[in-house]
Amino acid sequence: MSVSNNPGGSSQKRGVPLISMRNIQKSFGSVHALRGASVDVHAGEIVALVGDNGAGKSTLVKVMAGVHGFDSGDYEIDGVPAKINNPSDATAYGIQTVYQDLSLCNNLDAVQNLFLGREMTGSGWFGRRIKRAECEVRAREVMTRMRLGNLSLTRPVGAMSGGQRQNIAIARSILWTPKVVILDEPTAALSHSAAEQVSSLIRSLADEGLGIVIVSHDIHHFVVNSTDRIEVMRLGANAASFRSKDVTGEQVVNAMVGGNEGVNLAG
Amino acid sequence: MANAITNAAPASMKAAPAAKRRSFGELLATDLRALPVVVGLVALWIFFAIQSDVFLSPRNLSNLLLQSVVVGIMSLGLLFVLLVKEIDLSVAAINGVTAVLMAKFIVDFGLSPWAAVAIAIAAGAIIGSLSARWMTYVGVPSFVVTLGLGLALNGAQLLILPPTARYGLMGSGIEEIAQTNIEGAASWVVWAIGLALFGMLALTNATRRKNAGLSVNFMSELVMPIVVGAILSGGTVLILNAHQGIPLMVLIFAVMLGVAGYVLKETQFGLYLYAVGNNDEAARRAGIKVGTIKMLAFAIAGGVAAIAGILAASRTLGVGVFSGGGVGGGTLLLESIAATVIGGVSLFGGRGSVHAALLGALVIGTVQNGLNLMGVENEIRLIVTGLLLVLAVSIDKLIEKATGQQVF
Repeated sequence: MSVSNNPGGSSQKRGVPLISMRNIQKSFGSVHALRGASVDVHAGEIVALVGDNGAGKSTLVKVMAGVHGFDSGDYEIDGVPAKINNPSDATAYGIQTVYQDLSLCNNLDAVQNLFLGREMTGSGWFGRRIKRAECEVRAREVMTRMRLGNLSLTRPVGAMSGGQRQNIAIARSILWTPKVVILDEPTAALSHSAAEQVSSLIRSLADEGLGIVIVSHDIHHFVVNSTDRIEVMRLGANAASFRSKDVTGEQVVNAMVGGNEGVNLAG
Repeated sequence: MANAITNAAPASMKAAPAAKRRSFGELLATDLRALPVVVGLVALWIFFAIQSDVFLSPRNLSNLLLQSVVVGIMSLGLLFVLLVKEIDLSVAAINGVTAVLMAKFIVDFGLSPWAAVAIAIAAGAIIGSLSARWMTYVGVPSFVVTLGLGLALNGAQLLILPPTARYGLMGSGIEEIAQTNIEGAASWVVWAIGLALFGMLALTNATRRKNAGLSVNFMSELVMPIVVGAILSGGTVLILNAHQGIPLMVLIFAVMLGVAGYVLKETQFGLYLYAVGNNDEAARRAGIKVGTIKMLAFAIAGGVAAIAGILAASRTLGVGVFSGGGVGGGTLLLESIAATVIGGVSLFGGRGSVHAALLGALVIGTVQNGLNLMGVENEIRLIVTGLLLVLAVSIDKLIEKATGQQVF
C-alpha cells in the first residue's frame, strides 16, 4: 500500500498540510516516549490522536504545541521547517492549545479569560489600563461567530456549566485567528448533550478552514462520530490510521491495544 | 431516529439561555458580596448607639475612623498578598522595624523627616520583595518564610532601638501627620477633587463603552455610583468637619484606597493578581510572569505596612518595643489579617476588593471603640473580634452552600 510509506498522513491530495510531523523521536532520560511518530493536519480537517496511556499521543501534541522539544524528525508548518522552542513560538505560528483542565480562571469573566495575558491596554496612571470596552467588543464578535452569543460575558466562568466553560476555552483559542487548534480531551468531563454541543462547535471551526487536532479517550461516541481521521498510536509510534466514517469504535480500540497490527484503512 | 439525535444539539442549546436576571443568591455571591459585612457594621453601630449616647457623636466617629486607619492600611497591603493566594505574617514586624528605622535616621542621624519616611517605605517594599523572591526561588511556603522573617525583624527592631528602648518623635515633624486636620473650605475642595476623579473614571469607562457600540446603563453605571459615592463621602466629611475636619491620616488612607481600587479594577497588573490567585498554572500558560506578580504583591504589602508604621509612630509620638504590635506582631498582625478576612477577602486567593480593607478595619475599630465606651475590658474585645472573624467567614460559607454558587 502506498499509504504505508506515508504513516500519519491523509491519503487525499489536498496540497501542503498545515502541520506535518515526520518520524518524531523524543526521549525523557531513559524513557523513549516517541519512536518515530508522524501526523499531518490539513486545513478543514479534524484529526483524532488516540492510544492507550503512555502511547505517546500527549507527548506528540506537546511537541506540536512547543511545550517539549524533540530529538530528531521533521516538523514542518505550511511545508517549511518550523522553529519552535517554546509555547509562544507555537502560538506565533498559529497553533493554539486547549488543555484538558481548560486553564481558565474561575474568578474572572469570559472577556477577562479570553484575553488573559494578551489584554488590549492603553497607558494609565499606575500601570497599563485595560481597554475593557474594546476587549468586550472583540469577545462578542468571536462568541457570535461561534454561535455562543447568548453566553454571559460578565459572569465569573466558575459559575458556568462544564460545556459553557469548554466553549469559552475554545473561543479563547480562536480569538487570535489560529491555523491549528489542539484540543486535549475536550469532552472528558461533559454530559452527552454538552459533548454534542462542543463537537458541533469544533466542526464549525473546521468548516472555517482550521486544522483541528484532538486527543481523546472517548472513542465510541466522540472520536468515531465527530472527527475525520483517526491516528492510533502505540508505544510512541503510529499503529494505524483510519477514516472516521469507515470504522467502528471496536476496530479503533483493537488497533489501540494491538489487535490489528499495521492495519491502515485510511487508503 | 437519526433526526431526533441531530435535533438534540440545537434544542439543548436553546434550553440554556444566559440568565438575564440573576438570582439574589448569585448577586450575594458576586456583586453584593459586601452586603453581609455592611449589614453587620450597621447592626454594630445601632447596638453601640443604644448602649452609649456619645457613640454617634462627631467627635467619637472621628476617633473611630482614626483608630481604624492603621489596621485599615495594613489590611489594604495584605489584600494584595492574599489575592495571589499567599500570606505575609511579617507585615506587623515590617511596620515596626521600618518605623524604628525611620526614627533612628531622624533622631540619631538628623535626617529630614521626608527622607526618613521615603527610606522606611522603600525598606518595607524591599523586605517584602525579598521574602517573595525567597519563596519563589527556594520554594518555601510564604507562611514559613514570613513567619521566620517576622521574628527576625522583631529582633532587628530591638537591636536598632537605643538602650532607652524608645525614640521620641515629638518635634521631629513626624508627629504633625497625626495632628494635621483639613478643615472648612479646604476639606470640601479635597472632597470635590476626589469625587471628580471618581466621576471622571466612571465617565471615561461609560463613554468608551458607548463609543465601542456596547450598551451603557447610565443609571447603574454612572449616576448611581457617583450619587452614592458623593453621599457617603460627603456625609463623612460633614461628620468629620463637625469635630475637627478631615484628619490627614484619614485622607492618606482614603487616597490609598482609591489608588488601590483603581489598580485592582482597571489595570493589567490588578487583573493578573486575581488570575494568579485563582489559577497560577493558567496564568503561567497565558504568559503571565507569576513570580514577578507575586513579588510586586509582597513589595506593595511591605511598603504599605511601612506607611502604616509611620502613621502609628506619628500617633503615638514615638517608636519603641511596642511598635508593630510588639514581638510576634501581637494584636496588630492578627487584627490586620482579621480585618482583611472579615471584609471579605479569601484566604484561598483570587477574591476580594479594596472595600474589604475599609469595612474590615471599621468593624474591628467599631468593636474596640464601642466596647471602650461601654467600659468593657480589653479581654472581651478580643473575644468579640475573634468571634466576628469566625462569623464572617461562616456567613461566606453558608451563602456558598445555600446558593450553590462559589463566592467570588
